[in-house]
Amino acid sequence: MTLFLRRTLPLAITFLLGVAAAIQYYIPHPISEGALTQMSVWLRIMLGFAMVLGIASLCQVHYAKIRARIAGWGYSLIVFLSMLATVVVGLWAGGREEGTGFGWIYTYTLLALQGTMFSMLGFFVASAAFRAFRARSKEATILLVAAVLMMFGRVPLGEYLFPASGPVAGWLLNVLNLAARRGIIIGISLGGIATSIKIIFGIERSYLGGRE
Amino acid sequence: MRDLAAKLLRLDRRAIFVLIAVATLIPLLYPIGLPIRVSSEVKRVYDHIESLPAGSVFLLSLDFDPASKPELYPMAVALLTHAFKRDLRVVAMTLWVTGTGMAEKVVSGVASDYGKRRGLDYTFLGYSPGGSNVIINMGQDLNAAFPTDHYGERTADLEVLRGVRSLRQVNYMVSLAAGTPGVESWYVYGKEKYGFELGGGVTAVIAPGLYPFLDTGQINGLIGGLRGAAEYEILIGMKGKAVAGMDAQSATHFIIIGLILLCNLFYLLAPRTVVRSFDRAQDGPGSPQEVRR
Repeated sequence: MTLFLRRTLPLAITFLLGVAAAIQYYIPHPISEGALTQMSVWLRIMLGFAMVLGIASLCQVHYAKIRARIAGWGYSLIVFLSMLATVVVGLWAGGREEGTGFGWIYTYTLLALQGTMFSMLGFFVASAAFRAFRARSKEATILLVAAVLMMFGRVPLGEYLFPASGPVAGWLLNVLNLAARRGIIIGISLGGIATSIKIIFGIERSYLGGRE
Repeated sequence: MRDLAAKLLRLDRRAIFVLIAVATLIPLLYPIGLPIRVSSEVKRVYDHIESLPAGSVFLLSLDFDPASKPELYPMAVALLTHAFKRDLRVVAMTLWVTGTGMAEKVVSGVASDYGKRRGLDYTFLGYSPGGSNVIINMGQDLNAAFPTDHYGERTADLEVLRGVRSLRQVNYMVSLAAGTPGVESWYVYGKEKYGFELGGGVTAVIAPGLYPFLDTGQINGLIGGLRGAAEYEILIGMKGKAVAGMDAQSATHFIIIGLILLCNLFYLLAPRTVVRSFDRAQDGPGSPQEVRR
């Protein structure tokens, strides 16, 4: 019974729903469309439970760090405190942001912190460019030249000083970048299809957990 | 000279940080206002909105969080300004929970600037959990995906959504995205099945990845990064934050180009022993270690 619940039933559900969802796409009948509507609602409900699972997992990881006093455990404590504070204030405000403490937390902590983190990237990119962009090999030289051309061509000052830099940057994006990206997208898509088929037919079973 | 090059090769990164800070601040305080060339990919988004008759349904999904605000917020302001000027029915939403408050502010802010009434001329649906599944759900039944809008009004009763039962009735949709779910999700789960026209507005980092979609017509236009936002502001005759930021971006790009060129010069001039120790310390892209690997 345990094996049936742990392995056979999930594999059967995956196979049936996987095949049904693939076939549904090609049948625009009202019954088929109704089934898709229902399925999309169910998927969102299940994702809600996944969110609970994610929060539980996050708590577990950080609790273990605090208990074992692993280096940086103070940050884990901050995770708990800030999460708790946000949830309490959010519930107190009834989920409303306008003129509430919840809105204050959003505007003056989350918004400011995320903005700061992203802004700092600009400084680190500049420092990294100075140290890493060197013509040490043919490949590195090509990368360096392409990067410099792109940086010239994507800003008004570059186009003002060297009018050809804009079209050159456009050509790099529309021809070289496009060709490479298209290859990557096709590769990823084929990989996705192959993995999906393997999951539907029960060849790939890692989603069942380690004890399968 | 070789000693100086060796010293400069080990330049303290804090000196670079100061340079970047100065290069960003000065143009923001004293803008030059260099001309900005409008690219065809941005123009196509503008032209499509221009071609829509008044009362058409324009769906704007603000799929980003505060981290991408400097690039995507000006884009949202410019697109909303254009849509309200054209008297389109604006339906805004977000697939990113952390972007909800910011998205609401920009939508209601621009709407009030143009005297638009909530529920009649525009609405903000807010956030609904489920990521890409929300798109499928909206494609099947918009009222099921969002029974109420962000303000608690029943979507079925909203005048702005009159006749809009699903994504099939949307005339034009633009996703302003900083990642996934974003433009690709809207194409795969939305446009491909429900047939609305789709445009994209993304951060400069992910814009190159969308050029294949642009080339095939899977998206009709693309606004990339602060530069794209500035181009859109030029098109609608508005000098907003994006145009103001372009001078700062010009300056920082030139500082970075200068630093790269200088580093390569120092690299050539510095003694081999210094270069080898520098290489070992970096072990970055293109380094001998990395090439061997």
